[in-house]
Amino acid sequence: MESMIYDMAERLFRDHVTHALRESASAGQCPEALWKRIEEAGLTMALVPEADGGFGVPAAEALGLVRIAGAHGLPLPLAETLIANAVLARAGLDMPGGRLTIAEGDTLVLERSATGFRARGRLKMVPFARWADQIVTIAAIDGTDHVLSLPVKHLTLGPAQDISGMPRDDAEVDLDLTGADIAPLGRSAGGMRGLGAMIRSLATAGALETILRMTVDYANDRVQFGRPIGKFQAIQQYLATMAGETAASRVAAEMAADSYDTPSFALTVAAAKSRTGEAAETVGALAHQIHGAIGYTQEFALHHFTKRIWSWRDEFGTELDWTRELGRAALSSPRDTFWHFITDSTAKGASA
Amino acid sequence: MTPTAFSPPPSDADHDDLRQEVRAFLASELADFPPEKRAESWNGFSRDFSRKLAQRGWVGMTFPKEYGGHARSALERYVVSEELLAAGAPVISHWIADRQSGPLILAKGTEEQKRRIVPRIAAGELCFCIGMSEPNSGSDLAATRTVATEVEGGFRVNGTKVWTTYAHMADYMILFCRTGKSDDRHGGMSQFLIDLKRTKNIAISPIIDLLGEHHFNQVIFDNTFLPSEALLGEKGEGWTQVMSELAFERCGPERFLSSFALIEELIRVLREGATEAQQAEIGRLSAHLMVLRKMSRSVAGMLNEGKNPSLQAAIVKDLGALFEQDMPRLARSLLSRPAVPSGRDSYAAVLAYTQLAVPSFSLRGGTREILRGIIARGLGVR
Repeated sequence: MESMIYDMAERLFRDHVTHALRESASAGQCPEALWKRIEEAGLTMALVPEADGGFGVPAAEALGLVRIAGAHGLPLPLAETLIANAVLARAGLDMPGGRLTIAEGDTLVLERSATGFRARGRLKMVPFARWADQIVTIAAIDGTDHVLSLPVKHLTLGPAQDISGMPRDDAEVDLDLTGADIAPLGRSAGGMRGLGAMIRSLATAGALETILRMTVDYANDRVQFGRPIGKFQAIQQYLATMAGETAASRVAAEMAADSYDTPSFALTVAAAKSRTGEAAETVGALAHQIHGAIGYTQEFALHHFTKRIWSWRDEFGTELDWTRELGRAALSSPRDTFWHFITDSTAKGASA
Repeated sequence: MTPTAFSPPPSDADHDDLRQEVRAFLASELADFPPEKRAESWNGFSRDFSRKLAQRGWVGMTFPKEYGGHARSALERYVVSEELLAAGAPVISHWIADRQSGPLILAKGTEEQKRRIVPRIAAGELCFCIGMSEPNSGSDLAATRTVATEVEGGFRVNGTKVWTTYAHMADYMILFCRTGKSDDRHGGMSQFLIDLKRTKNIAISPIIDLLGEHHFNQVIFDNTFLPSEALLGEKGEGWTQVMSELAFERCGPERFLSSFALIEELIRVLREGATEAQQAEIGRLSAHLMVLRKMSRSVAGMLNEGKNPSLQAAIVKDLGALFEQDMPRLARSLLSRPAVPSGRDSYAAVLAYTQLAVPSFSLRGGTREILRGIIARGLGVR
């Protein structure tokens, strides 16, 4: 099953996510036709339990789609839709289909009203909001997390984009919500910030693998001083450094995906988001150094990937946010030694 | 397929009982073992400790039972190894034999060699050293000049090995040397199993390191006679044998836990109160450690399945050395507290030791530059 959905996604993205498509998307054009294919293939439901219409694959496998989408620089909210559907299913809310996105809801004020609930506030830098039908977010009332499904057409958007040109719009919320739009979350899945951090870590891991492959190819092809530049030890040392950071990022991101929906998630996602964000810096810099001037042009594809990894590290908590959180946990852990904290952090079923 | 991908490591949740047993053993055995001794990490030598560990069944864990081993998985061995390293236990007396020499003898040795040697390794009785580097053959292992010439009943060895860790204490050496000529730079090499206590004409003399300690030795072979049965594996296959042995040497937890005593001391001090900047650095360190540990366990799992993860092992070693080598800098960036050798302040003493130990971390077991060359080739750089 794993290789079947991965093969399907690989094929779909390889055939359709072209340099031209990424160019037009970053110029503001939503790739509607590609989205239709993704939805028809059922990929948007991969993280939903089988009983709710999903594939019934383990979560970590379904989340592998996010890494593959990242490896192709997919300019669509597939990762966000996967998470949104899983959270809606968890809360027993309707999954309306279409493009969905997610937002951290801690800026929302949620109050009870005559008709049900009233939500007010400003959601910041919501991924692909203007291309989405619903924003799914989590906000608390009376100490209980609730899932909110907000129709974008009833929100006021303040358009903005990230440095890769992808929509990151602010959304002004002032809405009455009924039982169809809001429900208690039940067991927490880690909060939207953690879930968002996980998908950005996975996408970064995929994009880093693409950047590494492009750079190795370039080093083998580009001839200077009568030989491919990959023959020079200085270049080989850079490539090896990129490989280490790339490998570590995938292991880090998959560590978070493996502990999705377990108590270990709070710590593994902190490690994943900070580790991949750090790797984005090193790998991006070295990829551009090896590519030389051609990599600094619009026409060469490298920038689509380096801009994305630099954007993603700023979303759903930066390296500084997540390392502080992890460091606070490490320093305040009740265990006798730091080592016990490390071994417990990734053990299945650990209380984090 | 992505060349840098690591297989998911097997879960270690099943081995929690084992982990707790090892922790209880270490808590009692090392109750009075001070932080500055723990800072020596796996370079600490104690035959007594190795024997006690073996009595618990924690040496030669993966060896077959018929050779005195315990037929446990590589992941169980991994749990024991990382607990020993995290505690800074003195393990070098059995470490090399348990990690690479024992597995090498089991894989390539004759039945007689296996029966004679392996049970004593598993009993924690034998200390091994590795005769690999030479004065003119460091990173360039193929430049090896030490030569074993075939004579009646065996071989005569001539040449000099250097940086041979604990040769002065070791019972056996696995010698890598030339046994013939070959057009291929890597051909004509072999490995020998040498009984250091009984073989004549071997001169072992100390090379004192910059810590002022005696770990390294120079070992001179002067017409040294080795019987035919000292040959380990196939004559002429030494290069291939050494390369697969190095994968075991390069991926273990000793590749990122060498500075762990300093981390524990640093965190002990910061637990009394840390600024946000200090918290963030400890968080970054934790993230790196969690990820390195998972990568290293993944390679252990791949070795267990009979795969050849030499690229992944080189990546773990390169990243691990960067991490453990960075610890004195990190500690100094968080605390203004000078290094003082053997003083009363255990943080300052551990910092002093670790500062002097770290330059070796990116030299031993393959220099950073050599590893990165291996990684680049593994990526398909032509």
